[in-house]
Parts: sequence; structure tokens; C-alpha cells
Amino acid sequence: MSGQPIIRIQNLRKSFGDNEVLKDIDFDVEKSEVVVILGPSGSGKSTLLRCINRLEEPTGGHIWFEDTEITDSKTKINEVREHIGMVFQSFNLFPHLTAKGNVMLAQRRVLKRPKDEATRIAVEQLTRVGLGDRVDYYPAQLSGGQQQRVAIARALAMDPHVMLFDEVTSALDPELVRGVLDVMKQLAAAGMTMLVVTHEMGFARDVATRVVFMEGGVIVEEGTPQEVFDTPKSERTKDFLGHIR
Amino acid sequence: MLTRSKRQGSARVGAHLVLLVLVALLAVPVAAFGIQNPGVVTDQDSGGAPTRFEFTGVTDPDASIQSMTFTFPEGFDLTKVSHRTTSLQGLTRVPLSATQEIGDRSVKLVFTPSVEPSSSVIFQLYDVVTPIAGGDYQMEVSYEASGQVRTTPPLKFSYATPSRAEALSRYLDQQPWVSQYNQVKFLNLFFKPQLIVVAIPLLFIGWLASIGLVLLAFPLAILWGLLLSFMKMARLRIIKWTAGAFVNVIRGTPLFLQIFIAFIGLRIAGLRASDYVTAVIVLALNSSAYLAEIFRAGIQSINKGQFEAAASLGMTYPQSMINVIIPQTVKRVLPTMTSEFILLFKDTSLLMAIGVFELMMYSNTIVARTGNLTPFVVAGVYYLIVTVPLINIVGRLERRLAISEGAQGAISDKAKKEKEPTLAEGLTRTAGPGGVQAPDNDESRKGQRR
Repeated sequence: MSGQPIIRIQNLRKSFGDNEVLKDIDFDVEKSEVVVILGPSGSGKSTLLRCINRLEEPTGGHIWFEDTEITDSKTKINEVREHIGMVFQSFNLFPHLTAKGNVMLAQRRVLKRPKDEATRIAVEQLTRVGLGDRVDYYPAQLSGGQQQRVAIARALAMDPHVMLFDEVTSALDPELVRGVLDVMKQLAAAGMTMLVVTHEMGFARDVATRVVFMEGGVIVEEGTPQEVFDTPKSERTKDFLGHIR
Repeated sequence: MLTRSKRQGSARVGAHLVLLVLVALLAVPVAAFGIQNPGVVTDQDSGGAPTRFEFTGVTDPDASIQSMTFTFPEGFDLTKVSHRTTSLQGLTRVPLSATQEIGDRSVKLVFTPSVEPSSSVIFQLYDVVTPIAGGDYQMEVSYEASGQVRTTPPLKFSYATPSRAEALSRYLDQQPWVSQYNQVKFLNLFFKPQLIVVAIPLLFIGWLASIGLVLLAFPLAILWGLLLSFMKMARLRIIKWTAGAFVNVIRGTPLFLQIFIAFIGLRIAGLRASDYVTAVIVLALNSSAYLAEIFRAGIQSINKGQFEAAASLGMTYPQSMINVIIPQTVKRVLPTMTSEFILLFKDTSLLMAIGVFELMMYSNTIVARTGNLTPFVVAGVYYLIVTVPLINIVGRLERRLAISEGAQGAISDKAKKEKEPTLAEGLTRTAGPGGVQAPDNDESRKGQRR
């Protein structure tokens, strides 16, 4: 791990009313790392991810993305978000647009790419996620796994510096999970910096460069997959992994 | 004693029936005695119809009228004429008894006893069938008073050539089957053929006016309603409350009241806008309040994930609204919006109350003149021509929406089903008491999997 971290998080706190979801998180992500965040429901892992592009407004602390402090109120957050791709559990494709339209929209409106360039890139990215033959389909005509891959292509078309994956396979039928994970593996292999919240232990073990275990709003343990899975230091981690397997 | 002349100024006898175009003017200074202020009024504004001619005048204190002769121009059919004669002395109505003698071109009324001096007289001749061709006509009126025959100056009247519809109506008047049909009171009152043919072309103009009003008002209402809906969703409370108050006031009061306030208020304030302009503005403001609620509900029904997805791609709030949220909202609110259009179109009828010429006003003028409700029925048909197809469209839009939302629903249901087990697992995982037994469970599960 060398050079300046791409994401730097200091003393991050987030409360929903009286409920403190994140308690003083310190956390860095280096370029090309694949960080898998594990933890039981309600441990704050999704909230952590959503704070990174300020879909959730942090209650306290600081987050830097490259040289920009995201938590600075003067930061134009939409300009930072261009470089942070995010994929959601519930896909959130735009139902009124085709697969291609979904991938093109932000390219055109945000990056102001000309139409033919946006189209070319859209087809390219959709092909990359294995949907070259579905570019003109509407989301309703696609399976959940295909929709999620369109969502990945949509994020990738923006040339993000980092990708956030928020339980992207949790809403999928088991037989459709693989296609999505394969795309994510490819991405990791290509050197994309990724933060992945998931329950897919196989993926964490095979692809992650680092595994972070969260519970109760704090990072309980982190390390390489081998360290965390095979020799967990914390009782809580052991407990959790025991249940999962 | 009888030679008495009097300079007489212009006397105007006003028409007292609504929309009666015909006012006879008598303005000739003349050496006449016996009857002052003579004038004639008719009850039809176009030719070819059985027409009532009403002669009015005031007899001099020394003139006792024995007979009156009305001489019509060429072409007037007097064969069916009947009469009614009345005089007023002060405020008392005195019926006069008279016999009529019908000549080729004239009708003579002979009074027994003769008309008292100083009477206001009204002589009505019914069912004078006028020639079709319109224009300015005059009739000669002579009378016998105290043994001497005098003439009034020629009395002018005019009417228009009937339109094709009126001509058709006159034709129907003469058809025996029409008379038979009209014997049925219900049919005559609501579906009188003569009035149907007259009302159709006349109400067409009113129909266009109503459509024009709503076509101008509705786009304005959409823009204003959209603005209001955004104001209602604004973070700033003042903006939110202002929009909320406006919407509540408009939705909480009748459109009828709003129309009165706008029209009368503007007049009192001395602001002169054309009736149509005021009407369009009132309709637009009223509808905008309802549309604002429709839009707000529509926008808020869009999944929050859509905002988040758009935001995560770096889109600004306006960009997300325009490219992501509104296109989806439009599809959802289209049926309700169309219903609102139908309501607004029907509501144009309320404008009749303050005299805007629209469909209802046009039909009401004919109803007022004829005492027959057929024009209302015709107006109803005109409203239906617009509303029934739209009602069908609403139905179709709703069905289409149900299908497409249903399809999406199926997917999200599946997503939920998939998600629920993981959630439940998550709960058992975090459950404290289970912690002790966890290793055991863990072992058994491991065993099963491996």
C-alpha cells in the first residue's frame, strides 16, 4: 500500500436521530484495492458506503476523496460523485430508458459527451458486462441479474476512480448472482478500486485485497482475507463467520 | 279641436325580449294627432317565420280611436293572423274588444266600444308570416278617431334573412310529422327538431369557445401547477407554506366563487381585462392547485432509489428532475391529469354566470328565448363529444399503467422475497441469546454444506 490513499476517512460519525450508526470510523482505501466490508445487518456498513458519496450526510468527521474533502460544505458534491461509481441493491435503473439509454444519460448530461461518443461507450460497457445483445431492452424486459449488470455498466461509463457496491447481489435469484460477481471479478482484475458491501463470502475470499469486519458502527477487525477468515482475532468476527458458513 | 299638432322628438321603444334585435325607431316630426309615440316591435330576428307584431302608442286626451288599420308591404302572409289588444289607463290594464278584418295586405281592428282617450295601447298581431328575405321594412298604420282617418308616420322594422338552419327549422315547422312528434310533451321539451337544427350551428361557436378556453388554460395550469408542486416540496418553509396556503384556498373554495371574485373584483379594481383573458386565468389558477397535488403525489411516488441513482452519477437536482423523475411522473399522472382536463372543460360552463360566451351561455340564450330545453340537450351532446373519448383514454392509460407498474411490482416482489431471508438471517445472527449456542449451529451447518 503506497502513495496517497484514494479515500481517507477520519472520525466519521453518523446518527439517525438517537441511533448512532457509525461511531468514529477511521478508514483508508488505497488505489486498486478491493475492500470487502462484512458485518451483520445494522452494523453500519451500507451507511459507511453511502457516506462516501454523501448520499447520507455524515453527522461528524471528515472524508477525503483524492484531494477533495467531500465533507466540506463548499465542495460541489455532484462533481465528486461523477468519479465515484455506485451500484445499489435494488438496481435503481431508470425504467423509462433502455439499457443503452440508462448508460448514456449521465454521460450526456454530466460529462457532456456528444451523442455518438456516449452511444459508443454505452454499447462498449454493456458488451463488457455481457449484455451487448440487450442494449435496446427496457429494464422491465431484463432479469434482475441483467438489470444489475446494466447498473454496473452505467456506473463504469462515467470512468469512475472508485466503485461502491452496496449488497448488489442480495436482491437476486441465486442463479443470477454469478453473472454479476463475474463482472465484479473482471473489474477487480482490471485494477478498479472497489468498496464492496456483500454477504458473498466466496467473493470476499477470492477477490478482496482487504476484508473489513464491522459491527455496531465500529470496525472490529480488518486484514487480508486469509487473516480475517482463517485466523480472526475478534470473538465477534469468529461468531459472525461461524454463522455465515 | 282635433287639429292639434305637436312636435315630437325621437322616441325609442326598447325591445323587451332578450336578444331581440328589432327595435323600431320612429323619429319623424309630423303633423299628427291622436296617437303619440307610435312604434312597432317584432319577436323574430329573421324572416320566414310566424311573427308577432306589437304596436304601441299613447292616445291623446281628445282622441277616441275607433279602428286601426295595419298595412304591410308586399309578401307578408296575413291569413293566419290573430290579435290581442290591451290598453293601460294609468296602471290599470283594460282589455279592449275588437274584431279583425283581414285584407290582402292589411289587418283592420275595429273597436267596440272605441278606445278611451289618454290610453297607452298595445295591439298585438300574431302569426304574421314574414317573407324569407331580410331587410328594412316599414308598415303603414292608419286609424279612425272621432270620425277622421289619420295615419301615423311609416313604422320601420327590420329582420335578417334566416340562416340555413333557421330555414330548415321553418321547414320543419310546417311538417305534419314534426307537429305530431311535438305533441309528445317530453320529446317537444327536450328534443324539439326545430330547435335541434337551430342549436347545432349556434352552439358550435360556443363549443369552440369552451374548447379554446380550456386549451389555453390547461397548459398554463400545468406550468403553474408544476411550480406549485416544487414549492410544496421545497425545504424553505416560507415557500412551502405559501404554496400550501394557495393550494388549500383554491381547493377549499368553489370555482364558482373564484370566478365571481375574479370578475367582479377586477372590475371594481378598475382593471379591464377581456372576459376571455380573465376566464383563462381563473380556470388556470384553479386547475393548477389540483394539478400541483397530482404532480406532488406523482413525484413523491417515484422510488427514492431513482434520486439516489441519478445523484450517484453526478447529476444535479434539476438534471435528475428533468431527465429521471419527471418523465416517470408524467406516465403515472397522465390518467389523473386527463381527468382534471375533463373537469376543467366541464367547469367552463360556470363562466356563464358572469357572461362569458361559452357553450352554456349560447344554449341558455336560446332556452331563454324559446322556453324549451332542447338547446341544453344539444349542449350536453357537445360536452360529451369531448369528454367521452377522453374518459375512454383515461381508462386505457390506467390499464396500461397498471400493466407496466404491475410488471415492475413483480420484480420488486421477487427482490423482496430474495431479500427477506437474508434479513431474517441477519436478525438471528445479531440476536444476543443465540450467541452461546452459535458454535453448535455453526458446526452443524458447516457439516451440511461441506
